[in-house]
Amino acid sequence: MKRNVFSTNKVQLLIFLLPAFLIVLLFYIIPIIITVYVSFTPMRNWNIDKYFNVIVGLQNYNRLFSLITRDPVARQVVVNTIVFVAITLVINVLGGLGLALANFFIDERVSTGFRTLWLLPRMTPIAVYGLLWYYFFHGSNIGMLNSIAMSLGLIKKPIAWGQEVIPWGPWSIIIIVNGFVGVSFGMVIFYSALKSIPRELIIAARVDGASNWKLTTNILIPLLRWHLLFVTTWQLLSLLTTYAHTFLLVEWGVVSRTYGQTWALYVFNTAFGRGEQDQGLAAAAAVILVIFGAILGWITVRALGFNKMITKPKGDI
Amino acid sequence: MVSVRLEKVTKKFGKVVAVNNVDLEIEEGEFMALLGPSGSGKSTLLYLIAGIYKPTSGKIFFDDHDVTNLPPRERNVGLVFQNYALYPHMKVYDNIAFPLKIKKVPKEEIRRKVFEVAKLLRIEHLLDRYPGQLSGGQQQRVAIARALVKEPQVLLLDEPLSNLDALLRVSVRSELKRLQKNLGITAIYVTHDQAEAMALADRIAIINEGVIQQVDLPEVVYNRPKNMFVGGFIGNPPMNFVEAGVEYNETVKLIVGEDSVWLPQEYIEILRKLKLQKVVLGFRPEDVLVLKDESQVEPGSSVIRGEIFTVEPMGREVLLTIMIGETMVKVYAPPTQYYSMGDKVFLQINPAKLRLFDPDTTIALEYLVKT
Amino acid sequence: MMQLWDVEVKSRKIEIVLILAVLLASLPLILNYGLLILSSFSTEMVTNLDPTSFRPTIDNWILLFEGRLSVTGGVREDVVRYTINTAIVALGVAGVVVLVSVMAGYAMSRMNFKGRSLIMQLILLLHAFPGVALIIAVYLIFRATLPSDIELARIYSFAYVIVARAALEIPMSIWLIKGFFDRVPWEVEWAAIIDGASRLRVWREVMLPMVKPGIAAIAIFAFLAGWEDLIYVRTFLFDRTLATYIESNINVEFAYMPLLAAAGTLYLLPTILFFILTQRLLLETSTGGIKG
Repeated sequence: MKRNVFSTNKVQLLIFLLPAFLIVLLFYIIPIIITVYVSFTPMRNWNIDKYFNVIVGLQNYNRLFSLITRDPVARQVVVNTIVFVAITLVINVLGGLGLALANFFIDERVSTGFRTLWLLPRMTPIAVYGLLWYYFFHGSNIGMLNSIAMSLGLIKKPIAWGQEVIPWGPWSIIIIVNGFVGVSFGMVIFYSALKSIPRELIIAARVDGASNWKLTTNILIPLLRWHLLFVTTWQLLSLLTTYAHTFLLVEWGVVSRTYGQTWALYVFNTAFGRGEQDQGLAAAAAVILVIFGAILGWITVRALGFNKMITKPKGDI
Repeated sequence: MVSVRLEKVTKKFGKVVAVNNVDLEIEEGEFMALLGPSGSGKSTLLYLIAGIYKPTSGKIFFDDHDVTNLPPRERNVGLVFQNYALYPHMKVYDNIAFPLKIKKVPKEEIRRKVFEVAKLLRIEHLLDRYPGQLSGGQQQRVAIARALVKEPQVLLLDEPLSNLDALLRVSVRSELKRLQKNLGITAIYVTHDQAEAMALADRIAIINEGVIQQVDLPEVVYNRPKNMFVGGFIGNPPMNFVEAGVEYNETVKLIVGEDSVWLPQEYIEILRKLKLQKVVLGFRPEDVLVLKDESQVEPGSSVIRGEIFTVEPMGREVLLTIMIGETMVKVYAPPTQYYSMGDKVFLQINPAKLRLFDPDTTIALEYLVKT
Repeated sequence: MMQLWDVEVKSRKIEIVLILAVLLASLPLILNYGLLILSSFSTEMVTNLDPTSFRPTIDNWILLFEGRLSVTGGVREDVVRYTINTAIVALGVAGVVVLVSVMAGYAMSRMNFKGRSLIMQLILLLHAFPGVALIIAVYLIFRATLPSDIELARIYSFAYVIVARAALEIPMSIWLIKGFFDRVPWEVEWAAIIDGASRLRVWREVMLPMVKPGIAAIAIFAFLAGWEDLIYVRTFLFDRTLATYIESNINVEFAYMPLLAAAGTLYLLPTILFFILTQRLLLETSTGGIKG
């Protein structure tokens, strides 16, 4: 009779989880397996019939390794990724913290306006967001940056910043474009954490005569330790895997392909880009990204104690 | 209506034992209060009866049917929650109709029954409103109506009055009692408020740390607490406890400090049987005569010396805190006398009302003899 | 009742300095968005910050809806159709995401089963999973399952892009809606279960109405995700959307820049609209309900 109660529960549970399970199976689990498999085939130009059943062992990985060690373009991808991820990460975390703190100290109505504005890049269609920066960095005199620099007398004629100023031009552009998107993540997390700090703590510190600066360094930031760690690791993960915005910047020639392409974009361009498409190589590069991301992600989730956020359901029904 | 019987019911949450080996029987049509401090396991016990929790071990019976493994819907119980748990998106009518709708009762009959129960609880005029538009007392009635409409075998109430203000609580309390008696329904009522339990219940079960301490009539629980926990939990202020030595001579008497306390015959016999060297003397604040002068002490009666620590006038009487040696006791005295801090006083305990407990087990001596 | 956040003696001067600092940092954003919209109503781009290049006109918008790319060129682009396509994808993504996550989110919040905590953590990891590693294989499956009939294939490509794009949003949506379910008092659900309702019924009739704001939040986020997407749409969809229209025409020689600014503004419109209407919801939940 105990079985009976249990099995109706199991059936109900399965009904609720089935759609999500199917989606995860079809669009995560099976693709991961296929990607790993494809990295062992010479798949190119989506010629599934010809290449899907051919196994070449570690050939793609060897090719990838020799490309990185010998081909300057491929080696540049690694350099770009390191520079991009490291600098954008610092900007996103510190910028997000700075924005959150500034918004915390200013009038709520004004801060709501600012916070909404900063959230906009995250929600803006990628093509439109790309368009904004396309105009901003445009290599002719309609480019905003050029017209500002020229009116200040810094340059005489327009510069294609992402093509001519190597390598910091393209690097700066991809960092700025992605930075304006990423900063809002930290801002929202930090701001809501700041708002949930018990008011008494802040009032007590004020009564003790703490200035904004003292309050920030002695009370607010120490209380945000968990959130700082979370935002840092989480942003690290997303910066490693992001490519959509940079894809457009490269495609539209805003930045040079050689100095703008990061690892994730390299994977995408190798599989889907113009010219010969080499899915075997792309899959191998993707697998390396996945391994890197999975380790990083697991550390994040474990170290930050996410399981504590999962409260146990009550009752035995 | 059914009787409810729990047999050796234990409920563990991980390592925490919320309900420990409970045996309890609630008779048909009886109003039983489960009384205990917060975290005592009284609500868990209620939810075990409702079927929301499944016991780790033990059995639950409705009459002679074993319902231990029945899902809640097959138990036909009505449950009223502390926070009412009304569905905020449904009108009062739909809230009350919901249990019947699920049972697929015909529409006309639902209508009839909802109006019937609404009339019983005097909420007919509220049927068209949303719960958010009602006062706490009205929400409370709707919650009771929803529990009653399906004509449950048992009505379970989880601190249903604690979210109401004090005045409303008293009036809803008496109404609840009348309703329960009129319907003759078996009711189990969880509360941490002893006054509520006393006023409402036919019998009270006192629970602490998952264990039933005493199940009895309200006056028995008050006058003859089974152990020091019950004595200390019931009553406001609670029962006073003073450690005492026992002197066995031609008679048996207690020694408190330098004073001796004579005992009633009943306790003399018990003590001769148990031969305890030490006991805990328990007495209620109202069972003491506070004498300011040794000359007032009637010859042949026994008194305990103490010193007034604080004086709190309460209107009808004065609450005195008195130090007996190192022990603090609270007693009521008539306001006709003037008391002040530091006064030496003599406490004359009504011998018929004093209780003795075994200091090791904390159990009242008369119960120790019975078992 | 007024809630006191801070003592009321904080310095006004410092506040103004902070506001100016944030304003300065926001300047590129304000200029970028403002000048895009302004340029769409001008005969010349005003992104050079030169007020003399602003000559008001609505020709750009007329040309856009006539499907032309330049004042003289004869290329026809069915922008209305692209807008509808974009909306189909966005609505489709929102529908799939909502359905799947309100079911799974409820189970994760309210049903106890072995491995529940582990599954929740894995779902969080899926959200951070490198999408680029998935898209290769997802496209491979698409190629392998594509119907040969061209009309059927078009429809299939719509359905596929919707579900594939929704799959990216589902992990975070489950977390988000789970948070909303968590906040519904247990007693409400117990009351319904004691009244004899099945879990499916409790979910539908009691729980769903109580997490409406959460459903609205995940629907809006999913809609915007479907609306803004470029990569999936250009990879899978046979038809064009506003994203692929802008992407492919930006560098075309005869493309008329202010006209593309108009296209960009049109594409931005729903996003802005949602921003104004649901500002609070966005600010509170935009990071997926993660609170420490």
